[in-house]
Amino acid sequence: MVTNDIYNKEYDVIIVGGGATGAGTARDCALRGLSVLLVERNDYSTGATGRNHGLMHSGARYAVTDGESASECISENMILRRIARHCVEETDGLFITLPEDDLQYQQTFVDACQRAGIRADIIDPAEARRIEPAVNPSLIGAVRVPDASIDPFRLTVANLLDARMHGAETLNHHEVEGLIINQNRVEGVKLLSKRDGRHVEVRGRVVVNACGIWGQRIAQMAGAKISMFPARGALLIFGHRVNNMVINRCRKPANADILVPDDTVCVIGTTSDHIPIETVDDMRVTREEVDVLLKEGVKIAPSLATTRIIRAYAGVRPLVASDDDPSGRSISRGIVCLDHAKRDDIEGFITITGGKMMTYRLMGEIATNAVCAKLGNTAPCVTAAQPLPGSEEGGPSQSDLTKRYSFGERAAIGRHGSLAARIEKDNDIDNALVCECEGVTVGEIKYAVHQLHVHNLVNLRRRTRVGMGTCQGKLCSCRAASLLGEINHDVKGAQEDLAAFLDERWKGMRPVAWGDTLREAQLTAHIYEGLCGLDKVVDLQGKEDAQ
Amino acid sequence: MRMDTVIMGGGLSALTCGITLAKHGKRVTIVASGQSTLLFNGGSMELLGSIDGQEVTAPLEAVATLPDNHPYRKIGTERIASLASEAKQLLDDAGINMEGRPDANHWRITPMGVAKPAWLTLSDHMRIDDLSHLPAKRVALMAIRGYLDQPNSMLAQGLRSLGMEVKVVEFSTSDITSLRRSPSEMRATSLAKHLMSNSALQRVAEQINALANEADLVLLPSVLGQNDDNDFRTLQSMVNKPLRLVATLPPAVAGMRMQAQLRHYFRMLGGTYLMGDTAVSGTFDQDRLTAVTTAKLGDMPLKADHFVLATGSFVSRGLMADYERVYEPVLGVDVDADADRECWTRFGVLNAQAYTQYGVATDNSLRCLIEGKPITNLRAIGSVLSGHDAIKMGDGTGVSMLTALAAAHDIIGR
Repeated sequence: MVTNDIYNKEYDVIIVGGGATGAGTARDCALRGLSVLLVERNDYSTGATGRNHGLMHSGARYAVTDGESASECISENMILRRIARHCVEETDGLFITLPEDDLQYQQTFVDACQRAGIRADIIDPAEARRIEPAVNPSLIGAVRVPDASIDPFRLTVANLLDARMHGAETLNHHEVEGLIINQNRVEGVKLLSKRDGRHVEVRGRVVVNACGIWGQRIAQMAGAKISMFPARGALLIFGHRVNNMVINRCRKPANADILVPDDTVCVIGTTSDHIPIETVDDMRVTREEVDVLLKEGVKIAPSLATTRIIRAYAGVRPLVASDDDPSGRSISRGIVCLDHAKRDDIEGFITITGGKMMTYRLMGEIATNAVCAKLGNTAPCVTAAQPLPGSEEGGPSQSDLTKRYSFGERAAIGRHGSLAARIEKDNDIDNALVCECEGVTVGEIKYAVHQLHVHNLVNLRRRTRVGMGTCQGKLCSCRAASLLGEINHDVKGAQEDLAAFLDERWKGMRPVAWGDTLREAQLTAHIYEGLCGLDKVVDLQGKEDAQ
Repeated sequence: MRMDTVIMGGGLSALTCGITLAKHGKRVTIVASGQSTLLFNGGSMELLGSIDGQEVTAPLEAVATLPDNHPYRKIGTERIASLASEAKQLLDDAGINMEGRPDANHWRITPMGVAKPAWLTLSDHMRIDDLSHLPAKRVALMAIRGYLDQPNSMLAQGLRSLGMEVKVVEFSTSDITSLRRSPSEMRATSLAKHLMSNSALQRVAEQINALANEADLVLLPSVLGQNDDNDFRTLQSMVNKPLRLVATLPPAVAGMRMQAQLRHYFRMLGGTYLMGDTAVSGTFDQDRLTAVTTAKLGDMPLKADHFVLATGSFVSRGLMADYERVYEPVLGVDVDADADRECWTRFGVLNAQAYTQYGVATDNSLRCLIEGKPITNLRAIGSVLSGHDAIKMGDGTGVSMLTALAAAHDIIGR
């Protein structure tokens, strides 16, 4: 468990929030020589970071409506291709015009892209059909842009790993219950450890609020008022990858107009609804959202109509309110960095919010600049140039991968980049496959437990993709739970964890439970309830919602 | 091709029905897609395990309290005892050695060490008749090194909570080590194939005899005998302690063994088993089904006097659901299911889910209906039937065998 060494230290900066922004800020602060503690109430990337398309925007989507965001996107896009190449798949993207759309918008769009510095090439619809066979064949126009696909879980973990390599401490499952406030100065955080129920106070010279939509609550604890504009978006994951390029609709942003290929699957989204701030923890997807996503998704790629949907999920964009637009789309996705000393006369407290997963690094840089200004640190930011762990030069090439490595090793290199070398694979026990869909070995699970802060199966899924494949954890979750139970010497805990994991999977499957997804659900119930009797040893009632 | 009866589906209910008809001299064809829930059966049959979350100890008595739409009530509460003993006899005749009684459940041991009520359990698998009189005090749980489909720590903890002393003993043999070199080969089915020869079993026996000498019962994961229990008997004769198998995660060797033995017996009786084929549609003449078309036979439809639908639940694709509705995909017969998709499921994965009780609607003779009218020569049996719940009520295998026998008698009687 957590040693008192971590709690008793006084830090230069305490970062609240373990999404991409918090992780990027922690990395930047650590690289500039600050002592850093990052705390996260659930698991890393539980919030909006892990609940989006996994799209590395070129910025084209915002070019017409929000030129500033578009410029930020293309600049960060080019940086991430260098520093996070093991998290990125360079797919390129299409903006397609369908017969129901206005083809004149295409020129407006291309002009705006050029103004923002985004390469946008108009291509012939026939050419678009050739390079992306999944696209709706009735398209009447297409523009090619440098969109890409990115794995936000991997990206966040790589930032945290680098922060820790540079001396930062990071704690997941630690909730901020309050701030330590002296006069008008924030001097630290009051924490509840959800691992062992302990309440502790940790001191820091500056506290950074990087909690996304949940940042409003943390600001309230300091006595500052931020009005967030929670804009909820739902998405569907399909059981295999029908498209190889990102496909967008070339029109003003609307519902379900982006289809992104991610690893072995593809994702359609999103809806956009302004929701009350009190409901941001309810991530269950409604029937209406599913209906809209399907209806619109089929227009982008007709084969989606017959492709199995493996789950539905929703996230909340941390937009900052500026007017009463009910859709939330005309609000800038721009970055908001608040120094509460200037704004609210509260010292030692900074909020970084707004923005997008894909501008997390820039947000980290801006927040770190604000921290350094307070602390008198003058070290320059190096995060745009220095590769993340896993993306250093000299890793194996594609041809090396297919020639020299097993399926499990290739999958691990894909997930962990050059860090995969740290995975035990010298004996046939460590090489045994736990998850056959995603190629996760016993050795990779041990690595994740010991190096990547894995305490439960949901943590493990985010680090390794165990249970994320088409079977949604049918057999691998029991194998993995059993291994975790043995490593942690807690069998009962492993069974409860297994049930919570299956429940979390069901939460995403239930809104799309027909066809093969319903069939998988019944198969899973046959195995875990019928065959194993898991329901007899675990009571899910009253358990905390498995995040 | 003209048959007396064509059975659609090839699992437990189809084979039980087919065997009974064939024994009475009927010409029977089974069209089997190859998907059967026996593939994750740990070696037990259940008549009735639970009602409203309460465990059932005396299934024959409890049957009377089931709701009217339950298949047991449709075939008649008073017939359950005799059908159950007939089912046991059929299993004996097929060479499937099981023990248990329909009037009192015993306990099977699950891969997670949970004791669950059961009616019959394979003789070579662990069974507890009375939880206050355990079959052993000290148990050696043999854990095959590198085999991940037996959650040993959970199993050991479960057995301990029942009152046994358990020692987990990890072992390997040269046959197992060579299998382990391929990371995806360590599954129960491949182990069963590699542990068939006397010499391979001898090497397992040597390990058990060397490592488990303090135990009064030795447990081994169920990785022996895909075709019969001879490998188990051979191993037992080489081991100087009582030996039992315990169920593993799928693929389940025990269920595959039962399937293989039933299929073999059906063929011995002269039945035709079309493996890997699926019924795709039917031809009706007023209130009768006259022929069934299969995927492989194409324009040679199977004609018969009687037809039996034994295609299973969603998991076997006997029922299907799309965006808008639940339906029976082969013949389009009526189903009992909620029209509103929102009602099919609930949040909370361990909660009772409505869809698990959906199935084909029938009259009390198990005849299928189309628009409410019975098809006089088409009966539905097993998991495709509505009104029962293999997962929450522990009645799946019992419903499969007993409705199969009831339908067979009905057909023979005509």
